[in-house]
Amino acid sequence: MRYIEWLVLFILGAIGTGLANFIGYDVGFMDSLPGLVVLIVISMIAVVCTKVIPLKLPIVAYCSIIGLLSACPLSPIREFVIQAANNINFTAPFTMVGAFAGLAVSDQLKTFISQGWKILIVGIFVMTGTFLGSCIWDQLVLSVSGVI
Amino acid sequence: MSGQKETYVYASLKERFKTEWLIFVLAFVFILIADNIGQIEVVVGKGKLILFPIFYAIILGILCGPQVLKIVKPEHVKAASKLVVVGICPFIAKLGITAGANIELILDAGPALLLHGFGNLLGPILAVPVAILLGMKRETVGACHSINREYHMALINNIYGPDSDEARGSLSIYIVGGMVGTIYFGLMASVIGMTGWFHPQVMGLASGVGAGIMMASSSASLCAIYPEMAETITTMASVGETIAGITGIYITMFIAIPLCDKYYSVLEPKLRKLALKPREEKSV
Repeated sequence: MRYIEWLVLFILGAIGTGLANFIGYDVGFMDSLPGLVVLIVISMIAVVCTKVIPLKLPIVAYCSIIGLLSACPLSPIREFVIQAANNINFTAPFTMVGAFAGLAVSDQLKTFISQGWKILIVGIFVMTGTFLGSCIWDQLVLSVSGVI
Repeated sequence: MSGQKETYVYASLKERFKTEWLIFVLAFVFILIADNIGQIEVVVGKGKLILFPIFYAIILGILCGPQVLKIVKPEHVKAASKLVVVGICPFIAKLGITAGANIELILDAGPALLLHGFGNLLGPILAVPVAILLGMKRETVGACHSINREYHMALINNIYGPDSDEARGSLSIYIVGGMVGTIYFGLMASVIGMTGWFHPQVMGLASGVGAGIMMASSSASLCAIYPEMAETITTMASVGETIAGITGIYITMFIAIPLCDKYYSVLEPKLRKLALKPREEKSV
């Protein structure tokens, strides 16, 4: 996508987030605004990174790293970034993602149903094993290394 | 998403909105509905299951699709799957900020965090025998090696070929994950959170399984269960997801797929007699 496409889509997404933040958590749109701008700017920098850095990292990895850098103690705008983002409830951007994700899989509904219960069971085992395994392993690692 | 020369789907921004405007209108309507309903907590025994607006939004999205209410057309469906990334970026950025604000937590944990990601291998370990017992053949390898998001599927297609049984299995679980994965991760995290087996910090980290939307769902549930630890949980989830995003592909390629393949070959002859007879099953 072109930069302008990303930007406009991020702005539309931010409006959706602001809306969810207002309806779900009673945060007025003007209060959300600085946080939304921060999130758009970080996301845009991440887009630039994926286009100019030859390293093949997923865009969300850049978003996360840039978000972290902007709010870490070394960042000159740390206080502002943290304060602004604090006004955005962490699940607010989430409803819109769900809307897209639901629409994106909507043409697979029939396939999903025709696959039958066996695949569903296998899927449940894969997902449960993945999360539970991570819990067990991470608990082990963090205990052994004395973190918790 | 990579540094390669990209080809543009639309000739211009205007053309994009000629197709996609309906998706945005629907998304805003879904937000109005879903966030008005809000979070619902269902008390189950000592704990609670939490239903989030995202769950309703997903269901509304599926209902509006070309196979139920037919409000959107197949070209919208294709466009929407690209928009998921657009939606998830600011969310991940927000988590990154939380992580930056609590960076001492990450520095305290240190390099041990880099080992996160290997725990995913319990997925295939549990699922392969189940799949074999249910009568699946080589599809098992594709289906069970991971939670089968886009990049996992790409790897399987690459290794076994897009027409292989393995690729079919992978696609099947990809569809299951898309349909029920987000909701399931939220509910599962509530249940595992209730058991008290694991430290909330650990469960936060473990939420980062390499699928942003599933991570979001499970960490949101955990935050609702442990509100006083919310910052810690989201910080760890952000770190976990970032690490999984970077190491995940290598763990899948070099460990999960070969392991799953070997494990299937060893186990299948032993369990074959016990397996359900495959009926005439419709293939994907």
